[in-house]
Amino acid sequence: MLIIIYATINVIGEIVIKVDNLTKVFKNGNTLAVDNISFEIKAGEIVSLLGTSGCGKTTTLKMINRLVEPSSGDVIIGSMNHHNIDAVNWRRKIGYVIQKAGLLPHLTVHDNISLLSQILKRDKKFIKNRVSELMETINMSYEKFAHRYPVELSGGQQQRVGIARALMEDPEVMLMDEPFGALDPITRDSLHDEFLNLNLKLKKTILIVTHDINEAFKLSDKIIVMNKGQIVQMGTKDELIQSPKSKFVSEFIKSHSNA
Amino acid sequence: MHKLLILLFSLSIFAKTPITVGSKGFTESILTGEMIAVLLEEKYDQPVSRKLNLGGTKIVFDALVSGDIDVYPDYTGTGYVMILKQSQKRNSEDTFNYIYDKFKKNFGLIWSRPLGVNNTYALAVKKDNPYFEDISTVSQLAKKSEKLIFAAPHEFMERQDGYKSLTKEYNLKFDPDKIVAMQAGLMYTAINSAKVDVIVVYSTDGRIKANDLKLLEDDRSFFPPYQLALLAKETSLKRHPSLLKVFKDLDNKVTSQEMTRLNNLVDQKNVNPRVVARNFLISKTILDGEIQSDEVRDLNFIEYAIKRKRFLLRLLKEHLYLSFGSLILAVLFSVPLGILLTRYASLERLVFPVINIFQTIPSLALLGFLVPIIGIGYFPALIALFIYSLLPIVRNTYTGIKSVNQNFVEASKGIGLTNMQILSRVELPLALPVIIAAIRTAAVTVIGMATIAAFVGSGGFGDPIFRGVATVNTNLILLGAIPSALLALVVDKSLGLLEKLVVSKGITLKK
Repeated sequence: MLIIIYATINVIGEIVIKVDNLTKVFKNGNTLAVDNISFEIKAGEIVSLLGTSGCGKTTTLKMINRLVEPSSGDVIIGSMNHHNIDAVNWRRKIGYVIQKAGLLPHLTVHDNISLLSQILKRDKKFIKNRVSELMETINMSYEKFAHRYPVELSGGQQQRVGIARALMEDPEVMLMDEPFGALDPITRDSLHDEFLNLNLKLKKTILIVTHDINEAFKLSDKIIVMNKGQIVQMGTKDELIQSPKSKFVSEFIKSHSNA
Repeated sequence: MHKLLILLFSLSIFAKTPITVGSKGFTESILTGEMIAVLLEEKYDQPVSRKLNLGGTKIVFDALVSGDIDVYPDYTGTGYVMILKQSQKRNSEDTFNYIYDKFKKNFGLIWSRPLGVNNTYALAVKKDNPYFEDISTVSQLAKKSEKLIFAAPHEFMERQDGYKSLTKEYNLKFDPDKIVAMQAGLMYTAINSAKVDVIVVYSTDGRIKANDLKLLEDDRSFFPPYQLALLAKETSLKRHPSLLKVFKDLDNKVTSQEMTRLNNLVDQKNVNPRVVARNFLISKTILDGEIQSDEVRDLNFIEYAIKRKRFLLRLLKEHLYLSFGSLILAVLFSVPLGILLTRYASLERLVFPVINIFQTIPSLALLGFLVPIIGIGYFPALIALFIYSLLPIVRNTYTGIKSVNQNFVEASKGIGLTNMQILSRVELPLALPVIIAAIRTAAVTVIGMATIAAFVGSGGFGDPIFRGVATVNTNLILLGAIPSALLALVVDKSLGLLEKLVVSKGITLKK
């Protein structure tokens, strides 16, 4: 399949995302949203940023995508350092999926998926083939759905299109902000499975922001638990359950997990 | 340099430059304008451009001074009282000599000898109203004036020789709540239906006879002489000797009684002013030619519109040029401005108050301001309409873009669109329905308001409306009103269709 050919073959074990002493102070009220955090994500890993609302997880993700400029600290993705590449080109190299998909209502499914490729002036025939191939991987028929508008899709379909859009330019890294947050539990569950199957083939390095501990347990290799702008613990599901580093982590797991 | 260009231009086409003849917006002025125009064309083979029906003294006089027109008819009293602001009483001859010298010296304008018509103001009442049975002078009216409703043209309320001085001179005691300033043509309708009791008229108005009114004698000689004469630029007279010949041709050739009859033919019998003017000149042997029939049968509106279809087409063309010209300008200016304002908040706080103020200037006042600056005709009207279309389009472009859901903007930014790409591919397409709605509003407003622009000689459907109101001619009013209303409807519907075509189905579809 073409997808496999385009997919970046990551060297297992190589560090792909490196966050170093990242801090964000918002000017209004001097809020310390993200307080000097550091972590690394290796190629092919799926990592969740977990925490309650206001803990700084979305700000962290937005800093990695440079929708929010850091107050201090470094972000390195692959060979890109955020000091020596402009924000627009930076973002184009990263797949970005947001809550409720963020599909543009005035564009068809085809145009939503291929918007960036159209802007980058890719060959029309290439775009069509790529869109149709991606739609196949997300289990939506091109003939049936490509010319529909977002308003004509269900929530789950919109979310799939959002993922296809992020994959269009075949990025090495995907950032996902509450990607399954607005879905009903049944749809969410089946999308989780689809997502994991998809990534078995694609092997992307993925950072997911979520407040849902079960989602984090199900999808990710590692979990970063955040509270009040700081990283409380980073580890696998088992490490978090068996050796929580603080009372916050153990209580968070107890009160939210159904594992 | 300028003159050289004009010279070269006229040589190159072997044609005389046309003389622009103006007039004010009432029948006698239009008729006299036609006399000048017909004589120039038919007797002296001189091309003429007609700017008849131009509104009030200020607009026509400013147009003459600025060179937009070459000649127009006016009254010695108007020059003496309104333009030179004199109030000292003088007889006809002294008045004429005084204004002749002052106009030549101050403005470079030359008065012709009077035509013979003395069209002064007069107070008129209904002949068959028993209340006025034994009243024949203004002094007698003063004793019974308290309960009467008094109507006068707007101009009269402000003139030196107008309302204030008149009431003082005769000790008239009208109730301030019962004084109405209104359009001259409508006064006759009002007095005929007993809505008003006393009106101020021009003494040669054809409608005095037609409406069975009697004039009250100005027994204290309050009103200055208002002798009809022609007023031209000295430079125009030098450039066009034929204009000077016309001055001589008309010298002392029309009496007040004759003018009343001619006015009546136009106002009451609906004869074309050009035909009336031409026939009169022939009957006076000033012009050679055949007298045309002035028998006019009452036409219904459809017959009337068909008869005047060429006129109608010209009006349509003028109206379209004016309204679409200003609308296109407004869109080209306002959409970028609206976009700019969404980018710079400080600019927004500065610009909106300014265009809000523009919007609140009454249209007639705005036109009044623009005439001395830009002149008459197409351009001041274009500018005025442009100014009125600004606000809705700027405002809606601004709010349309501002109200685009920030999630869409952030999503687009997040996948790597530049600010310009977000604007052109996300914000503008999403704001388009709101922007087009504003363009529709502006289009309908502009088409309606373009009728007022006829006031400064820009033509269009307002022209027959003004003429019709001034001459109490319903068909003429409808000739302007119906097509402009239809045009507004058609344009509104067409823009609605355009909206369907250009706005994405994804926005309009309901789930």
